[in-house]
Amino acid sequence: MAEHDSLKTQKMLVGIFSILLVVILIIIAGVEMKHSVEPQPIIEVSGLNERCVDCHTSKGVAVKAIDHWKQSMHAEQNISCIDCHSAEENDFDAFFCPESDIRVAKHPTPKDCAECHEQEVAEFAESKHAHQFWLLSNGDRAVFEFPIATRNGCEQCHNIGVTWPDGSVGECDACHAKHTFSKAVARQPETCGECHVGPDHPHIEIYLESKHGNIFRATEKNMDLAFNADDEDQIPIDVPVCTTCHMDSDGKQPTTHNVSARLAWESQAPWSFRTVWFEEKLGDWKMKRGRMESVCKSCHSPDFVDVYFLTADLVNLQYNEMRREFVYWTKKLTTAGIIDRLELDGKFYSDPVLNGWDENPEVEMYHSWHHEGRRFRHGAEMMGADYTQWHGIWELQHNMAEMITWAAEHGDAEAKKWVNSNHPGKFIPFALYDIPGNAWGISSHVNTTPFVYNNYPDYWERVYVNVEQAYKNGVLTDHQWQLWLDRYENREHYLGTKYTEANDSLYNIYKERNAKDTEAFTEEAVKLKLQGKRFWEY
Amino acid sequence: MGKIKNWFSERVPVDKDKTTQALQVLLKEPIPAHMKHWYYALGATTLILFIIQVVTGILLTFYYIPSPEMAYESVRYVTEEVKMGFYIRGVHRWGSNLMVIAIFLHMVRVFFTRAYRKPREINWVLGVLIFLSTLTLCFTGYSLVYNQLSYWAATVGTNMIKEIPLIGSAVLEAIRGGSEVTANTLTRFFNLHVIFMPAILFILLIVHLIFVRLHGVAKLEGYEHEEKSYPFYPEHFYHTLLIGLFLLTVLSALTIILPPGLGEPADPHVTPNHIKPEWYFYGIYALLNLLPLKLGIYLIIVFIIVGTFWPFIDEYVRVKYPSVKTHYFFGSICAVLFLFFTVYEMFV
Amino acid sequence: MDEEKKENRRQFLAKGLMGGGLFASAVLLIKHGFDFIFPGDAEAKKRKLLVGKVDDIKVGEAKEVTYGENDLFLVRTDEGFKVFSAICTHLGCKIKWESYRNRFYCACHKGIFSANGEVISGPPPRPLDEFEVEIEGNLVYMWMNESNRGLS
Repeated sequence: MAEHDSLKTQKMLVGIFSILLVVILIIIAGVEMKHSVEPQPIIEVSGLNERCVDCHTSKGVAVKAIDHWKQSMHAEQNISCIDCHSAEENDFDAFFCPESDIRVAKHPTPKDCAECHEQEVAEFAESKHAHQFWLLSNGDRAVFEFPIATRNGCEQCHNIGVTWPDGSVGECDACHAKHTFSKAVARQPETCGECHVGPDHPHIEIYLESKHGNIFRATEKNMDLAFNADDEDQIPIDVPVCTTCHMDSDGKQPTTHNVSARLAWESQAPWSFRTVWFEEKLGDWKMKRGRMESVCKSCHSPDFVDVYFLTADLVNLQYNEMRREFVYWTKKLTTAGIIDRLELDGKFYSDPVLNGWDENPEVEMYHSWHHEGRRFRHGAEMMGADYTQWHGIWELQHNMAEMITWAAEHGDAEAKKWVNSNHPGKFIPFALYDIPGNAWGISSHVNTTPFVYNNYPDYWERVYVNVEQAYKNGVLTDHQWQLWLDRYENREHYLGTKYTEANDSLYNIYKERNAKDTEAFTEEAVKLKLQGKRFWEY
Repeated sequence: MGKIKNWFSERVPVDKDKTTQALQVLLKEPIPAHMKHWYYALGATTLILFIIQVVTGILLTFYYIPSPEMAYESVRYVTEEVKMGFYIRGVHRWGSNLMVIAIFLHMVRVFFTRAYRKPREINWVLGVLIFLSTLTLCFTGYSLVYNQLSYWAATVGTNMIKEIPLIGSAVLEAIRGGSEVTANTLTRFFNLHVIFMPAILFILLIVHLIFVRLHGVAKLEGYEHEEKSYPFYPEHFYHTLLIGLFLLTVLSALTIILPPGLGEPADPHVTPNHIKPEWYFYGIYALLNLLPLKLGIYLIIVFIIVGTFWPFIDEYVRVKYPSVKTHYFFGSICAVLFLFFTVYEMFV
Repeated sequence: MDEEKKENRRQFLAKGLMGGGLFASAVLLIKHGFDFIFPGDAEAKKRKLLVGKVDDIKVGEAKEVTYGENDLFLVRTDEGFKVFSAICTHLGCKIKWESYRNRFYCACHKGIFSANGEVISGPPPRPLDEFEVEIEGNLVYMWMNESNRGLS
């Protein structure tokens, strides 16, 4: 009987275990393995293209271009060499491939791209990327930057707006590097930074010093920039790259190849002005700003965005007031004959308010627009604090002082008066814009110290009329004016002065610490007299 | 029906009585009572695992391509794209681990119960050979994946062969098919893993089993005359079935929890920073880390020789010093050292 | 008596449990094995390929195109663009386009297909294999199954 029992137990156990196994086998059937690699499509080269590829490979001519093409979406869809490089007999860039009867085009142009990418090419042609403004300006830069220098300089970047003999405009591969034409490469901030870099418009530097750029650098390893923004319901990356704000769809508006579609200012220009670029197609500046704000508000609160942009807008307007000084002095000095325009046979080669070259005020004036003046404004628009401050306003004020000092040295009475003045207000010979507080928070002490607040009880009234005038001139929206008024009316709160007294004890802690610092460096450094003998005496 | 039966028995003239008799002998094989403890069923466990390995191994050869360009890719394909591929590969991979454990425990059991004692010495030797064959299979199988770890394990592992006195260099060259680890090495490893070693192991297992049957299962030392026995069928048969089911369940569960990985593809130009063999080689790995290479290899060779011929040595020592329990002493030291180094390497 | 019945029932239960469980697990194991052996064709992924340009080919013309191993004909009929495989459906010879007769001709067994790919005469059992065509502006695309090569 016992043996019988144990046998039965065994049978039961076998049953239980086989049922357990069944359960696990069913689970197994539901398990799916993650794929570690995406299957790569097989690229076939056939027909005429096979001849191109074979010959180029065997002769070692631009072989890498073929490798790049093989990685492209074009290769995947059998869009091959001759589909872009085809040429008619009389095309400006037609030539016969050496030792062959194949006529090819040397420069595929946007006209070729438009065969498939019609919309993109059309959008691009209506953007400021396609604008050849330098050909239109009233001064011949070649007197200063002679042609051979501009070949590899200006021309390389500005070729993005080239007008081809075939009637098309632009250079698609400036961003979509050939022959992969990769979206990811086009989105890489450094692609924009190839040109948007340096003293005149340090956009890549501004971006990389902003929170946006910093987070991008920290997380870019896990970021795939090859997405198709129009296929996404929302921005698919965690932090914006250049194209996110200026071009890509944010889920609420379509992607555009018109980089001007979301810009409200012409803040690269000598005077800041609200853009009118293709406004009949793109809408007015308010519409364009609306597009940009839509992107911003994908991540930021509306209030932050509104205050941030209002502040940056006021910086743009303030720039104009400084610009006015430079124009005033260079014009005055030119009229007085203290500085001269470049001139030959009755034709001028420089402009006193744009690009005079050989006298100090002209140089200061030029820099204060083309370099520092842009850095001041663009830093403010793209969170580049350092560029608004040290590479911006600091340099602008310095330039102005240099210019007026030069005028004084050259006999201008008004300038002499400025130089001899001890009044702290002499650095602000213009009207001011301002906004109570900033977008970042409330500081209970910062607004209690500046000279302008303390010495001009009517400071905010002075500012008020300027901002109101800007609003009435139509360069601020109703909403912005209301926002400003709200801050103006509650400025005790936004300036933090309402909280100053209550926070004095906190402030005093640091005041005391500061006193200690002063004492320390006075003892350690200022009062120090070294024992060793000097090597030269006055 | 009858016609077909006749037709068939005419052409396959099997003596019915004789086969029934033979079957009876096989099924009624007396099993000593102590075998009812699970601990004594590790031999059967090994056999079942061997069968699982053969079946899953054959299935894996449907997809595996033994070339340096395709090896890793084909493993990836089988794992990620073929339906049930991860399961078959997972069971094969975990099966190899469990088989090593099972053989090891089986040997420990046989060793400490001195089941190898006269007249079963030859079967112990066969058992050691089975163990070594299994390790060779593990090593070659691991190398076939052709990821970074397996490539460098193959390089390091085969380099050790060179240190074998006299024949080392020749054997190394024969295994690698040249002086470097190349495509030749991979195809040789493939051959060793799917044809040569399985065939050897199969023959060894058969002979091992025949010896078990010829001698009968060893009874416990000192209880030879008291112990009762019971027939193989049905009790022990269910026992074995249960083990088989249990193993399949465990292997399947392990595959779900820890599916077989892929690692980085092999790169002959970059040695990874941390390369370690599979856990069962940790003992050897630690030994080679601690000792000069030559000494280490010699020690391993000596250990293998002593281990293989242990029943004879044990007998010899026993005759000289009847009161000393040499096998307890030797076995405990080996087991403790092995466990220590394995655990040590796991955490270092 | 009852005891014995109970006992019998238990025996039956144990046997049933064991038999059922073993059967089910064996079936599943074998099914998994079969799934492994017959992986099936991976989901046929379709790919869009450029085969020609609208203004390169007039109505009534055909153009031979190749893509990798595939020989194809791009035909423009009154009804629009069509892409046919250039392989005769009879025994796999390559067909030719006879423009003066507006038809395809297979030299091996004199199979004749119309410009629409239909069999006109000869032994071919079915019309030419046709691919889906998509026109985008001036560009003619076709849809082709991503070739299934097991491993790639």
